[in-house]
Amino acid sequence: MMSSSLFARRMALLAASVLLLAYVLGPVAWLLSSALQREADITSIPPHWIPHPPTLASFRAIVQAGLGTLPADAAFVPSTAQYLLPALRNSLVVACAVVVLNLAVSVPAAYAMAKIRYVGRNLSVYFMLATRVIPDIALVVPFFLFVRKLGLLDNVGALIITYLAVTVPFSVFMLLSYFEGLPDELDKAARVDGCSRFGALVRVFLPLALPALVAVILFTFLTSWNEFLFALMFTQTAASQTVPIVVASFTSDFTTSFSFINAAGVVAIVPPVAIAVLFERYIVSGLTAGAVKG
Amino acid sequence: MAQIEFHEVAKRYANGHVALENLNLQIRDREFLVLLGPSGCGKSTTLNMIAGLEEVTEGSLRFDGVEVNAVPAHRRDVAMVFQSYALYPHKNVYENIAFGLRMRRHPAAEIDARVRAAARSLEIEHLLERRPAQLSGGQRQRVALGRAMVRQPSVFLMDEPLSNLDAALRVSMRASIKALHQSMHTTFVYVTHDQAEALTLADRIVVMREGVVQQLGSPDDIYERPANRFVASFLGSPPINFVDGELEADGAGGVRFRSAGASAFTLAVDDDVRTQFASRAGQRVSVGIRAEDVDEHAGDGRCTISGEIRSLLPVGSDQFVGIDVGERPGTQMGAGPGAQPVFFRAGKERRFAVGERVSIPLNRHRLHLFDQTTGTNLRTALS
Repeated sequence: MMSSSLFARRMALLAASVLLLAYVLGPVAWLLSSALQREADITSIPPHWIPHPPTLASFRAIVQAGLGTLPADAAFVPSTAQYLLPALRNSLVVACAVVVLNLAVSVPAAYAMAKIRYVGRNLSVYFMLATRVIPDIALVVPFFLFVRKLGLLDNVGALIITYLAVTVPFSVFMLLSYFEGLPDELDKAARVDGCSRFGALVRVFLPLALPALVAVILFTFLTSWNEFLFALMFTQTAASQTVPIVVASFTSDFTTSFSFINAAGVVAIVPPVAIAVLFERYIVSGLTAGAVKG
Repeated sequence: MAQIEFHEVAKRYANGHVALENLNLQIRDREFLVLLGPSGCGKSTTLNMIAGLEEVTEGSLRFDGVEVNAVPAHRRDVAMVFQSYALYPHKNVYENIAFGLRMRRHPAAEIDARVRAAARSLEIEHLLERRPAQLSGGQRQRVALGRAMVRQPSVFLMDEPLSNLDAALRVSMRASIKALHQSMHTTFVYVTHDQAEALTLADRIVVMREGVVQQLGSPDDIYERPANRFVASFLGSPPINFVDGELEADGAGGVRFRSAGASAFTLAVDDDVRTQFASRAGQRVSVGIRAEDVDEHAGDGRCTISGEIRSLLPVGSDQFVGIDVGERPGTQMGAGPGAQPVFFRAGKERRFAVGERVSIPLNRHRLHLFDQTTGTNLRTALS
């Protein structure tokens, strides 16, 4: 029989968990719920948590606006609505490109820093990390001048370049500490077994570093997907604007359309959630794979 | 099948650390060479240079007469067994063993045959599907041996392969490794800090210290004729006893050893040393006496050491008797405040008591005399 004090303790913990959960997931629930409601129902008091009746009108409007088939009399649609679908494409292109290029640079860099002795090794690690001490806001102007000089204003290329500069140092750092944790003798064994340095990296270190790779992929994708400041400065039109910029523009309209904004919000969180769900099992399987024991 | 030659090789690191200095060494084809020394003596660096895992800073490293300084590890025909085994955690045993062959693009059927043959000879056939994490230390050790064996390399390198095993397994694996060398007909280079392992396995031993070769020779050479005090102290269990003293004229045209301690004693020495060093009376030397160099039949008393028994250490087959010979040494062997006991081996049928005074007749032909300042064996000056 559970003692009453233990019971009380458990109840208190349970209540605290529920409260925390509500705090974290409440806004997401409201986002989902209101995306499926009509504008009039969203603003009604008291609010309906369960859409009554649920409607896909806002999602339909997003597609129609993107395709240019929106009826002229459509109500509660922001004036910049037609930019949302191109922005989704831009965001995906930027995020995927940054993930791929980031791995292509940071994996060999981290391996070299972890397993090859060369003069200036420590210095290069510190220098690389030091670049991340500078706040982004201080980098905006130099980056802007740089991007303009390259003729990349209003081009997704500008975002890919700047996001790489922002994400590579931390990615290298994450991979570096992981590679350093893998024994040097594995590297030596692979090379004696016939692998070049690059072969040892690809055939031995990458499979073992899967959890760290997944972490880097998630970090890089989410950073690129969510980034606002640089995107605001370097993009001007639908040719390069990303989702955060377009969604933000919805609020600066004459009338704010909550149902449409929330539907756009749902669309914006689908790719990161999908990526997280996709890679979650790799994180778990990577952690449970047999490690080296001495 | 390869002969390996180090020609005036040095290894220096960017931070100024010198791992090896002027190494000249010829490793013969198909020999079992053991690199022996304390940690930091450069033995692993030497091995890694043969493997191509460390660059040669200076000098020339040759395989069968061809310089390989610039040949990367994966293009040298060497296999290596590591102290931590370094099995690939994400591959099963079969794939671990097959990996080196796959990298060298052997046909699949041949790989399969070789892996299974190696697994059979190492008795790990039933483990082929397992991951390294599911194996015991001894099993991992066998997989690591298998991974090197299947390659049929021309040089087989081992870096302290037994030091992570428990004592009983270590002794049985020594026999397996020796058998492996005999069956593979290839050059073995083996690094260890365990003198017993070196004496058991080696055709020749290289004793190293602080990046410098101290002595190269057969196990008998190294044990019976140590080149210097360091080599003498590194081999043998219990360690060789040292007593400091000097050479003294014996009044018959030769010299003998006289200890420096409070209760000085003299020891007659081997004839060639006695006469050749007749003019060196007064030279400060240490005598090295191994515990087993007792000669029950030497009756003349000219080479006898006596003292009070301080400790008795039975070891099953024998016993070691620690005797206080009145020596108060300084720093050499880290002696405590009391007298440094000198240990002798005695049959266990003899009964001793702590506190008893005994006289131990020594075999004067087997005493080692070392110059106190240089540490070199006086005999090496003879030859």
